[in-house]
Amino acid sequence: MNLNNYLAIILILFFSGSVGAQGFVNTDITGYARNYTGVLLNNENNFSIIQNTLNLNFEKSTERGGFKVNPYLNHYFDRELEIGLREAYLDLYFKNFDIRVGKQQVIWGKAEGVFITDVVSPKDLREFLLPDFDEIRTGITAVKLNYFSGAHSIEAVWTPVFTPTQMPEQGSIWAPKMPFPMQPVWDYSTSEVKPSLENSEVYLRYSMMGSAFDFELVGGHFFYDDPSMFVTRQMDMQTQQLTGLTVRPEYQRVSMGGGSFSLPLGGLVLRGEGAYYTGRHFQTANPMATGSKVQKDNLHYMAGLDYILGGVRLSAQFIQEYILDYDDAINNNEFENTMTFLAKKDFLREKLWLELFAYIGLNNGDALIRPKASYSLADGFELIAGANLFVGNEGRFGQYDNNDMLYMKLKYNF
Amino acid sequence: MKRVITILAVLLIASQGFAQLSGDEIMNKVYNLPTGNDQQGQLTMTLINKSGEQRVRKLQQYIKLYNGDEKKVMFFLAPADVRGTSFMNWSYADGRDDDQWIYLPALKRTKRISSDSKSESFMGSDFTYDDLGDRHPSEDTHKLLREETIDGKACYVVESTPKDDTYAYSKIISWIIKDNFMGAKREFYDEDGDLLKTLTVIKYDKIDGFWTILQTEMKNVQKNHKTEMKFENIQFNQGISDNKFTERGMTLGS
Repeated sequence: MNLNNYLAIILILFFSGSVGAQGFVNTDITGYARNYTGVLLNNENNFSIIQNTLNLNFEKSTERGGFKVNPYLNHYFDRELEIGLREAYLDLYFKNFDIRVGKQQVIWGKAEGVFITDVVSPKDLREFLLPDFDEIRTGITAVKLNYFSGAHSIEAVWTPVFTPTQMPEQGSIWAPKMPFPMQPVWDYSTSEVKPSLENSEVYLRYSMMGSAFDFELVGGHFFYDDPSMFVTRQMDMQTQQLTGLTVRPEYQRVSMGGGSFSLPLGGLVLRGEGAYYTGRHFQTANPMATGSKVQKDNLHYMAGLDYILGGVRLSAQFIQEYILDYDDAINNNEFENTMTFLAKKDFLREKLWLELFAYIGLNNGDALIRPKASYSLADGFELIAGANLFVGNEGRFGQYDNNDMLYMKLKYNF
Repeated sequence: MKRVITILAVLLIASQGFAQLSGDEIMNKVYNLPTGNDQQGQLTMTLINKSGEQRVRKLQQYIKLYNGDEKKVMFFLAPADVRGTSFMNWSYADGRDDDQWIYLPALKRTKRISSDSKSESFMGSDFTYDDLGDRHPSEDTHKLLREETIDGKACYVVESTPKDDTYAYSKIISWIIKDNFMGAKREFYDEDGDLLKTLTVIKYDKIDGFWTILQTEMKNVQKNHKTEMKFENIQFNQGISDNKFTERGMTLGS
C-alpha cells in the first residue's frame, strides 16, 4: 500500500470519527457497505470476483453552496486494497447559475446502458459493463458552470486534465481480444496526454425540460477516451512474412456535436440520441496506411421506447454506429448495430424486484443477458442475485463466452 | 303586486337553498376547495403488511398552482436506498396526460417516465400515483347515491364511474362532509366491481385558513395490508420558487 492509500484511510477515519464529525456539523453521511461474490460457470467454477466495498458520501448543502466527498474502498481476495475518491467537489450557488469545482461525474444524454453523447465522464471497464453504472462512470477533475433560465439551462465544462477509459489489465478475463495477427510489443512512449492548457478539454450542453418534450444539444472538443493503436509491422523482406508488431497506443483529439430528446406519446416515452464525431481514428489493414490507422468521421445514434404493460416496465433501444466514407480495409464494420431490452417488475409491494436486461449485438449474433432479482430484507438491506450470460463466439459480447457467471450481492445502505 | 313578487322571490331563494346538489356539483365543489397558491410539507407513509410488519417511507413535497395546472415535486428522504431520489409531476386542468420525471442520484440523471405509471403503486404503498393527485371531476360520471352520517358528520355519498374503461378502478364511492366538502372516506372498486381498497380520513384541520387532510389510512381489503399516511409541517402560500419545479430543483434536493 502506498502513502496515498494510507492518507486516504486516515481521511476516511477522520471524517467518520467523532473528532472529525464535530468539524462537519450537519454534514450528511450516507453510503453503503456491500459484498459482491461472482463465480464463473465454466468448467473450473473459479471465483471471478470477491469484492467487499465501503462507499461513503459526505455532503453538505446550504443556500449559497455545498460540497461532496465520496471516498470508496474495495477489498479483493486476489488484488491490492483499492482506495479512491469517486467524487470530491465544491459547489457555489447563485441566483441563475451554479459553479462546481473538483472531481465530479458529469452525465449527459437519454440512452440507457450505452454511451453516445455521454462523453464527459470516462468509463471504468475493468470488469467490462458489469458494475452498476454509477461505478462504471469515473469522476473527472473539472470546472462546471450551469446557467439556468426557467426550463432552459446551459452547462459548460472545462477539464484541465485528460482522464482515459480504465481498461482491464493484461491477463484479466475481461481484457478484450486484440485484432492483431501475432502478440505485439507494446510501446507506451506516446500514450500519455500531458496535463497542459493546450491539452485541456471543453464541453457544452444546452438542455430544455418542458411539457411537450425534453431535449439536449451538446458539443465538445476533447480526447477520445479509448486509445487508437499506431501499429508498426516488421517484415522479412525475403519471405514477405510478418516477423514482429509494435503497437503504440495514442489518444487522439476529436470534436463531437449531437443531441438527445425524450418525447411522451400517450403512455409511451420515445427517446433518441445521436452524436457526430470528426477526426476519429480506426485501424485498417491497408498496408499503405501510416501506422495502420485511418481517420474518418462517424455517427453514433439511438432510438428507444419505454412503456408499461401489465405493471411491467419495458424498454427497448436500437443503437447504430456508422463510419462515413468507409473503405473495406477498416477493421470495424461500416455499420455496428446493437439492441438493448429491459423488463422490470416489482412484487410484494416493492420488496422484490425482478429484472431482465440484455444487450444484443446484431452484427455478430452475440449477446449479454443479465437476469437479476433484488430482495429487500429490511429497509436499506438488500440481497441481489443474478447472472451475466454471454452468447456467441465473437463480437463485443461473444468474446467473453467463457465468462458466464452467477453472482450475489449483499448491500446495506445507510 | 310588489308583495306577491317579494313572496315569489323568497320562495325561489328558499327552494334553491334546499335544492339537492347533484353528484357533479358535489364533486366539483370538492375539486375546487381552496388550497392556496402553493403548499409544502412532510409526508410519512407507514406500510403495514397483514402480519403487522412495518416499513416507513418519508418524503418532502412541494405543490404550486399555475392557473389551474399543478406542479408537484417530491424528495425522498427515507429509507436510505432511495434518499436523494426526486419525483416531479405536472398535471393539467385541460385533461392532458400528466408529465412525470424522476431523478435518480446514483445515475445523476433526470428521466422522463411514462404517465401510464399513474395506476402503479407509489413506493410500494397501497396508494397509486393517481390516488395522491387531484382527479378532475370531468374524467368521471358522478351520481349522488344517498346521504349518510359517519362519525357524527352528515355526508353526501357519491358514486364516480370513470369515462375511460381502462382506468384502474371500475368505480369510486366517496363520502363527502356536507359542511365543508372535505372527503371523509372513499371506496375503490376493482375492474370486476369488487371492493379493492378503502381510504379513511383519520384527521383533518384548518391550517393557514385552508381545510387540510393530516392523516389517512388506505387499506387493501383483498390483500389485507394497509398504508398509513401522515402530513406534517404543512405550510401554505410560502411563495415557493418556480425553480423548485425544474431539473435544477429536482437535482438540488429538498
